[in-house]
Amino acid sequence: MELPVLNEKSTQGGCAASSCGSSDDQLNHLSDEIRAKVQNHPCYSEDAHHYFARMHVAVAPACNIQCHYCNRKYDCANESRPGVVSELLTPNQAVKKTMAVAANIPQMTVLGIAGPGDPLANPERTFETFRRLSEEAPDIKLCVSTNGLALPDAVEELSKHNIDHVTITINCVDPKVGAKIYPWIFWKNKRIKGEKAAKILIEQQQKGLEMLVAKGILVKVNSVLIPGVNDKHLAEVSKIVKAKGAFLHNVMPLISEAEHGTFYGVMGQRGPSNDELQALQDECAGDMNMMRHCRQCRADAVGMLGEDRGDEFTLDKIEDMEIDYQAAMEKRKVIHQAIEAEMNSKRAAKIEVKAEKLDTRPVLMAVATSGQNVINVHFGHAKEFLIYEASPNGVRFISHRKADQYCGGDTSCGDGESVLQQTVRALEGCEAVLCSKIGYEPWEILENAGIMPNGEHAMEDIEEAVMLVYNEMAKAGKLDEVKQRATA
Amino acid sequence: MSLKIIESCVNCFACEPVCPSKAIYEAAPHFLIDPKKCTECVGDFDVPQCASICPIEGAILDALNVPINPPGSLTGIPPEKMAEAMAELQAH
Repeated sequence: MELPVLNEKSTQGGCAASSCGSSDDQLNHLSDEIRAKVQNHPCYSEDAHHYFARMHVAVAPACNIQCHYCNRKYDCANESRPGVVSELLTPNQAVKKTMAVAANIPQMTVLGIAGPGDPLANPERTFETFRRLSEEAPDIKLCVSTNGLALPDAVEELSKHNIDHVTITINCVDPKVGAKIYPWIFWKNKRIKGEKAAKILIEQQQKGLEMLVAKGILVKVNSVLIPGVNDKHLAEVSKIVKAKGAFLHNVMPLISEAEHGTFYGVMGQRGPSNDELQALQDECAGDMNMMRHCRQCRADAVGMLGEDRGDEFTLDKIEDMEIDYQAAMEKRKVIHQAIEAEMNSKRAAKIEVKAEKLDTRPVLMAVATSGQNVINVHFGHAKEFLIYEASPNGVRFISHRKADQYCGGDTSCGDGESVLQQTVRALEGCEAVLCSKIGYEPWEILENAGIMPNGEHAMEDIEEAVMLVYNEMAKAGKLDEVKQRATA
Repeated sequence: MSLKIIESCVNCFACEPVCPSKAIYEAAPHFLIDPKKCTECVGDFDVPQCASICPIEGAILDALNVPINPPGSLTGIPPEKMAEAMAELQAH
C-alpha cells in the first residue's frame, strides 16, 4: 500500500525565529502599550483569536488598482477569501449591521473595512462608516486595510476617527517585481501600467507606512506569497517594513483557482505549498513578528476567525432587529472583562510542559479546536485544524489548514475526493492529530496515512497536550531519527 | 457625444466620483451615463475618466459603440487563454 503522506520530507529542524520557544511568543517582544492595544484584536494577536471575534462591512466597492490575484467580477456565497462579498452596504446599513452583530456576538471586538475594493478609494463611504461608529459604538475597535495607493492622503482622516490598526498589503518593494503583480493603477486621472505604475504604488505604500507609524497607528503588513514572483523577495520586504515600524507581518498564500477568473488563476500560476509558506514565514521571523493565524476571510465575514456567521445578519434580518446599544454595551463590557480574566488566569496557570528529551526532531501536529485554546472539536466536525510544531524548544503555532476546500459544498469544485480524503491530504506533514473524539473509520485512514489520531486530551490546553503527546512519541522512540522520518 | 456603460458593469462605484460632468449615476441593474451630460471629458482631461478607472473590460463603450478597454487590455489575460480556461471549467 502506498503511503504518500509519509514520503513527504519532514519539516526542517531548528527554528529561525529569534523568539522561538513558546508558542504565544508572537507578542512577547512588543511593548506593553502595543500589547494592550492588540490583546483583544483577533487579527493582531494569535492569543486573542481564540477568544474574540471580528467583522468586516462591505461598504467599499471601488478600487484604484488591479491585482493579478483579484477578479472584480467575482461573487459567490460559498467562497471564503478576500474581495468576495454577498451584498454591498451603504454606510447607514453598515452601522446598523455592526451594532446588530455587536449586540448578538458580544465577543466581537473589531470592525474592519476591507473592501471588496480598496477602502481608501471609497473615502466618503469608508469614513462616514467610521465616523458614525466611533460616535455610536465607541467600544468597538476600528481598523482598515488598504493597498496603500491613497494612503498618504488618508492618514490625517484615519487618525481623527480613532482607527489605531491599519493593514497595508505590500507584496514588493521592487517595481520590477511589482509589474508582475499589478497590471495597472489609476493615478492622477490616468490609468498607468507596468513598472511605472508599480513604482508609484510602492512609493505611496512606503510613505503611508511611515506616516502611520509617525502618528502612533499600529501597522500590520500583509503580503501574498506568489511562488516564482515574489517568494525570493519577501524576506527583504519584511526587513524593510519592520525597519520602518510595522509591527506585524502576515505572509499569506496566493489563492489562484482557475474558476476564480483571476490572471494568476487563468494563467496557471500556482500558490505555495504548506512547506514553502512555513519556510518563508520562518525566514522572515528572524527579523519580524509573523502572523500565522490569518484565515484570509471575506470582505463581509462575521464571527470568530475561521467561521462566518454573515448569514445571520443579512440586510433583511437586521432590518427587524431592535438594538438597544447602551444596554448591549454594558453586557459587552462584562463579557469582555470575563474573557480577559479567563485569558489572564490561563496565562498565569499555564503549566509549561517541557520536552523530556533534548535531541529529538521537531514534529507537526494538527489540533481540532473552536477556540478558548483547548482541544474541543470532534475530528469529523472540524472545518479547519491548527498546526503546531513541538520540538525540544517547546511548542509553537505554525498555521491553520482548512479541512474542506475553499469553496464549501459545491460538488463542481474540487476533484471528486471524499471530504475525508481531502482532510487527510490537508494534514500532510503532520504526525498526530489531536481532537476531542474521532470515529473508527477516520481513525484507520489516518493511521494508514501515518498520522496518529489522539482523542485523549479533550478539553485540555492545546500547548500542554501537544507537548505531552510529543513526549509520548519521544518515549516510544519515534523521534530519534534526526534527519528524516521513515518512508514506510 | 457620449460614452455608454453596458450590462457587464459590476456596480463597483469607481467611475461615479471621477466623472467631471456628474454624468454617471447609480441605476438598476447597473450604473448609467447621462448622454446629455457626458462630454467624454473633453476640456477636463486627456482621457475619459470612467474608462480609465473601470476594471471591467468591455463595460464602457465609446460613441461608436466600441469598447474602450477591449478584452485582455486590463487583466493582461489573453482572450484565447480566458476562453480556453472557461471551456475547460465548463467541461467538468
